[in-house]
Amino acid sequence: MNDPQQPRLTPIDEWEDEAEAMLDGVEYDTELGLRMARDAIRVSNGELSDAEFHEKYHEEILEEFGEDERPTKPEGFDDD
Amino acid sequence: MTNYGLVIDQERCIGCQACAVSCKQENNVPMGQFWNRVLTEGGDKIDTPSGGYPEDGGSGSLDMQYQPTACQHCENAPCVKVCPVNATYTRDDGIVEIDYDKCIGCRYCMAACPYNARVFNWDEPEQMPEEGTGDVAARPQGVVEKCTFCSHRVDEGLDPACVVNCPADARIFGDLDDEGSTVSKYINEYETDQLLEDRGTDPKTHYISGEMSPGRPQTSDKMESELDDVSPWSDGTEDVPSDADGSDSSDSGGSHHSIEGDADPHVPAVGSGGDD
Repeated sequence: MNDPQQPRLTPIDEWEDEAEAMLDGVEYDTELGLRMARDAIRVSNGELSDAEFHEKYHEEILEEFGEDERPTKPEGFDDD
Repeated sequence: MTNYGLVIDQERCIGCQACAVSCKQENNVPMGQFWNRVLTEGGDKIDTPSGGYPEDGGSGSLDMQYQPTACQHCENAPCVKVCPVNATYTRDDGIVEIDYDKCIGCRYCMAACPYNARVFNWDEPEQMPEEGTGDVAARPQGVVEKCTFCSHRVDEGLDPACVVNCPADARIFGDLDDEGSTVSKYINEYETDQLLEDRGTDPKTHYISGEMSPGRPQTSDKMESELDDVSPWSDGTEDVPSDADGSDSSDSGGSHHSIEGDADPHVPAVGSGGDD
């Protein structure tokens, strides 16, 4: 069963293929979504801070979506 | 502060899919979609057993282990961190929700969720019956949706539909920040796991395995915190048996206990009406 629409646990070595399938056809940057997904897990397990994650993708998010409303924004972060 | 979580006793789970169906009904989940599934471990597909039938007089190795899976409402939710428009957010009570008015359907949250707990409405959602089911409005085409811990019920002081409708009492919902809650006591007293712990997401769903717990203590559809007394095993001094072996209650097998106080009798939340 490889239907990415259905909840299931994905072995880590299959995750990237499934993530690509989920983003297939999306009208936004697929590669950005994959990189952010990978790094979001790094944030969760402590390899990357919220602030680092926010800054790393802020410009690309703004360019792609015209806004960046992620809750990871550090205090005093300059949006401009 | 309240921090809602779920304990699922895999030793009590009988794989009946009542949680999946009641979730679908209560939350008006479209045809072809599920927020809540009971997977099996080790088989070729998500719902097939592992092992094989006895052959040629052998003993066989057929085995069916159930793995109920839905949104884990992670403390460190990757889906929340990647949402560019803050449509996916964590409520003050710990429930991870989606603001469907804000969701732009980029599906970054789906890619970031290690549990594949989210589904996307590729087409205009179809309900059966057409007017829908349950107490939640249908979500539009082009948005992502998922389990909400039945936040609309929780806000009314009721347990999630999957919890109330589990015939094996295998699902227990409550406040993880309350040391006296059943969920907290079970996590302390039984061997529990979280799914994919190495990802650091700190799910608020905990799974009991190895030794069967007494299960969900109350027979009411109200949350434990709404009841005066959920002490079916004792004189009220202790809500949950302190001995991990559960002694005389661990073999209840889904039967309901007597209950004191003003608790309502157990009334299934699922009404009539079909679904796929």
